[in-house]
Amino acid sequence: MRERLFLGFVYVFLIIFALICFIPFWIVLINSFANETLIQTSGYQLFPTSFSLDAYTMLLSGNQVFRSYGVTLFVTVTGTVLGVLLTASFAYVLSHPKVKYRHVLSFLTFFTMLFGAGLVGFYILIANWLGLKDSLWALVLPYLLNPFYAFILVSYYRSLPYELNEAATVDGANDIRIFIRVIWPISLPVIATVALFYALQYWNDWYLSLLFIDNYKLHPLQMMIRQLMSNLNAMSYVGGSQTDYNIVVPTYGMQLAIVCITIGPIVFVYPFVQKYFIKGMTLGSVKG
Amino acid sequence: MRRNKGGVNGFIHEIVKNRYLYVLALPGILFLLIFAYTPMVGHLLAFQNYRLSDGLFGSEWVGFRNFEFFFGSKDWLRVTWNTVFLNGLFLVFGLGSAVVLAVLLNEVTGKWFKKTAQSFVFLPYFISWLVVSMMVQTMFSSTEGMMNQAFTSLGFEGVDWYLTPSVWPSILTFVYVWKVAGYNSIIFLASITGISSEYYESAKLEGASRFQQIIYITLPLLRPIIIIMTLLGIGRIFYGDFGMIYAIIGDVGVLFPTTDVIDTYAYRALRQMGNFSMSSAIILYQSFMGLIVVIFFNWLARKVDPNSRLF
Repeated sequence: MRERLFLGFVYVFLIIFALICFIPFWIVLINSFANETLIQTSGYQLFPTSFSLDAYTMLLSGNQVFRSYGVTLFVTVTGTVLGVLLTASFAYVLSHPKVKYRHVLSFLTFFTMLFGAGLVGFYILIANWLGLKDSLWALVLPYLLNPFYAFILVSYYRSLPYELNEAATVDGANDIRIFIRVIWPISLPVIATVALFYALQYWNDWYLSLLFIDNYKLHPLQMMIRQLMSNLNAMSYVGGSQTDYNIVVPTYGMQLAIVCITIGPIVFVYPFVQKYFIKGMTLGSVKG
Repeated sequence: MRRNKGGVNGFIHEIVKNRYLYVLALPGILFLLIFAYTPMVGHLLAFQNYRLSDGLFGSEWVGFRNFEFFFGSKDWLRVTWNTVFLNGLFLVFGLGSAVVLAVLLNEVTGKWFKKTAQSFVFLPYFISWLVVSMMVQTMFSSTEGMMNQAFTSLGFEGVDWYLTPSVWPSILTFVYVWKVAGYNSIIFLASITGISSEYYESAKLEGASRFQQIIYITLPLLRPIIIIMTLLGIGRIFYGDFGMIYAIIGDVGVLFPTTDVIDTYAYRALRQMGNFSMSSAIILYQSFMGLIVVIFFNWLARKVDPNSRLF
């Protein structure tokens, strides 16, 4: 009897926790389709009581959302591809027993996790020395090597049998060929996990664009959310037709609609990729 | 350690011998040099009266004046306290909820239910803090928010949440738990799965209830990983979560007394006041404190339990 009661408590707790996690998504979604005046008069709704596409129509009638989508896509794809290539090859060298200086390199990588350069040095480097202000590269380059992901890969490479390497060496292949032909293919599941982590990071980042992008034409989606949340003149930002004073500008609706547009792809692929993240984290928590 | 061919010759020999591997590492090494180590020069600005037009080498050196100014103001104590206090809350409640979640998820026998529940609690990890900030607004906006709607329908008066600093440590903690509990629970769930089932079987033979099994088997065996996670958290206790705080609080000055952390303070010094040197001094102070804390707690962990140290 007490066992049943305990189990009952477990299920109830988990259901409530899961609901709390889900409800904000639900509220954002249904209110993005709500009538603007309804939100203004009676607040955000928990259940749909009206239906309107105004927010989406207005958002999609301008250029900004398409521009921002393009920026986010470019940054995510470029960043993920370059980041994975750089991290996977660098981590391979860190894990390779033949490399004499691998400990030095590992320490140099690890040390950046303990003692960072900080905002000011970083800002001056990107904005002044590299001159990347208002450049999309400022959104891509700084995240190319994440020490944490590198060490996930290092601990995976170390678990591979060294004979793989030796057999290929006997065949006369050099280390770059071994990496591309032998190591990369069998590491693909882990590399895919790291790629997903990078993609998520690039898709969700707004710190870099906050620091380095002033030109609104280069705003990624995340910055568009921020602008719509704080911008009083949402219409001119979204870039729709001439301001028409007879219509209600769906300020709230557009804020929620841009959120839905931004997280849509993530929520859509989430069921398929979730297991890779879990695998990556399980790997990462094994101390290397 | 065997010393073969000393110095420069040994170095060149090694590079030539493993040239293909070093070529593979080259992009990573360049990245570290350019994006991680070069900007450390920025810490020097803390000792300057930096002006953009004069540059790093032309600006006037002022010794510790920026630090004197920062520590002379009341701000430093406030932002330091807020950073440590909020991070402490995040650490305790973040890990606590993740452990509870992992333990309870492990008790679930139905595979479908377990997977579904896990998918839901993991979902908030995947969205940005700006999106979270929007969701917080749908809850706490004083006129349209769900909280005040609930309050008024129950006959209470609504609260101007965004004008009330005292409630924000709790709200931020709740939001933090909401976002990361599912993510962190995966780490704990993985180590629970690794526990040998023999322990549980013999406990069952002894007549231990499920609850007793959690208290006497699962939690003690999770201890090492909990310690490591706590150490990682403490190591970052001086680093405020800029992405989170600035997305949710932004420039709402009324809320600064309880929510302004070192990172947001330094950001405003840089971007809104254009005071590079002041910002740099604050960040150097932060990095320095952070380093001391990491080294101290790693030393402590080594003493208490050699297996749970970080490095």
